[in-house]
Amino acid sequence: MRSLRAALIALALAAAAPASPSTLSITLQKRDGKPLSGAVVSAEPEGTPVSAPAVRAIMDQVNLAFVPDVLVIPVHSTVQFPNSDAVSHQVYSFSSARQFQLPLYRGKPYPPVQFDQPGVITLGCNIHDNMLGYIVVTVAPYFGRSDQRGEFSVPDLPAGRYRVRVWHPLLNEGTALERSVEVGEAGETVEIRLTKSLRPAPLTDRPHSWGY
Amino acid sequence: MGLLRRGCTPKSAPLACAASCLLLFAARARAGNLELSLDLRAVASDGETSFLDNGLGKFRFDEDHQGLRLGRLRAAWNQPLGEVFTAHVEASAWDDDDKNLVDLTEAYLEYRPYPRAGWRPRVRLGAFYPPMSLENRARGWETPYTLTPSAISSWVGEELRTIGLEGQVEWLGTRLGHDFDLQLTAAVFGWNDPAGTMLADHGFALHDRQTTLFGRVGSPQPDPGLPKKELFHEIDDRAGYYVGAEFRYLDRAILDVLHYDNRGDPTVPAPEIRDMAWKTHFDSAALRIETANDWTFLLQALDGDTAIDPWMMLTWKFDSQSAMVARRWRHHMLAARYDAFAIEFEGDPALPGSEDGHAWTLAYTYEHGERWRFALEWVRVESDVPARVVDFGEPALATESKLEFSARYFLDFDFRQ
Repeated sequence: MRSLRAALIALALAAAAPASPSTLSITLQKRDGKPLSGAVVSAEPEGTPVSAPAVRAIMDQVNLAFVPDVLVIPVHSTVQFPNSDAVSHQVYSFSSARQFQLPLYRGKPYPPVQFDQPGVITLGCNIHDNMLGYIVVTVAPYFGRSDQRGEFSVPDLPAGRYRVRVWHPLLNEGTALERSVEVGEAGETVEIRLTKSLRPAPLTDRPHSWGY
Repeated sequence: MGLLRRGCTPKSAPLACAASCLLLFAARARAGNLELSLDLRAVASDGETSFLDNGLGKFRFDEDHQGLRLGRLRAAWNQPLGEVFTAHVEASAWDDDDKNLVDLTEAYLEYRPYPRAGWRPRVRLGAFYPPMSLENRARGWETPYTLTPSAISSWVGEELRTIGLEGQVEWLGTRLGHDFDLQLTAAVFGWNDPAGTMLADHGFALHDRQTTLFGRVGSPQPDPGLPKKELFHEIDDRAGYYVGAEFRYLDRAILDVLHYDNRGDPTVPAPEIRDMAWKTHFDSAALRIETANDWTFLLQALDGDTAIDPWMMLTWKFDSQSAMVARRWRHHMLAARYDAFAIEFEGDPALPGSEDGHAWTLAYTYEHGERWRFALEWVRVESDVPARVVDFGEPALATESKLEFSARYFLDFDFRQ
């Protein structure tokens, strides 16, 4: 899925960036040197504002949690918020990039929500305060999440200068990590190590009946 | 303040509120949820005659109430009404000598609108617990860590209920990229003028027997034939209040503080319930810390006094502290708690009405799926109660212990409209 998307984007960008394709590899490490997985990584060509095509994505609610916990989508994409739980949820966001609310529901009663502004949208459920999810809306044509080894790579990338951004819900280093990276004919490998420890991760295995 | 009328009994307050709200929103009613649970106990206890039976024993199950017992039969109904209102009713049966076989512990309507720009108000109207226990966080205002809550929570369950209106404002900082949330609470209530009478009568106790809204609690007295005490009455036509704050660091640490004052007029008698308005106020604080490797640390403190003025002002100062540590291994949990409690009547710890005690609690809990919970608990209480000498001719110092096994089965049903 990711390689198909990357290929399509590379095709769309072929006219704008005629240089031969290379690979951008990004490796993320926590402060202690261990891999930082699940981080949102994006690469945007500097001076050539081209976004990836909008998609139709799904942010599910399963076992009183948003699934996935972090969803990254191109700007102008839409997201459906089905509720797969037996209990009702009341999803809201008051983040500046997109404010909305979905009145108490189960199943899939509402049309998808469109996200036209880049930024991080924090999701909550007004019934279950422990539920916390994120949607990252990006203008970058290349994006994804780092794997278990903390790695993310974009193959077939036109050579040029890119702005690489890293975001993680537990990041302690300000709003985002940014690097300006020159990708040459031979590709480029970037290693980013956090200078601060991550914030504590949410406690996910407490019984739901315990409440807050 | 004169806000409350003596003629309006507690019976009318929460029920009338719940009923009118149900009618108001019936047309927009959504799926309701019914919770049922049956908690059976096997008890071995050497406790003195329980406070429930007009004794000075610290346990719910005393030496005469061992063997197989009903822990609690509970039914709770949650009914969303429209988008932002929910009605919540808690009914329980405890199988002891109370006025009603089944009775309510809580009944309220909650208004919980969507947050705006990080702020969310919440309003509760009816009968419910003040937000001061970080221990009793499970369904039915129970503690998930032990069978028997701390001396502080035991007292709250026994004597306190907010029958009135509570407003909260919450700042959801964690939804704005910060590490903490903040909540401020204020409430105005009535029908809690006897609060404090149990502390003066039998002191602190350690038990999970919540007093029901229309129920009674035992009180040590020379004539066992006299009726027990009813706690949720309006006596002096003066509303009480509490204000509190909660500070949450992510989902790891919660600090709660509360100042409570029932503004009782201690000179007003209530012969219909053989009591008076008790002037009770206290401060409480609780801190709960949870770690990623499943440890829970809980500290609680309570400090206050209660007074009546039948012909002269009589004052009981009370305080209690509690420290608990618990560790979970998936479905298994071990918890250990220490409680200290003291009451000083008229500044003299040797007078009847005073007491000094402490307790140790050890509990093991196992959750089998979502339906079953099994628990084994041992509690030992040592207390120095001068009234034992005066009222019962027994030594002031007593050590009571109990071993209790619980098997609880839980069911819930969703009713779609």
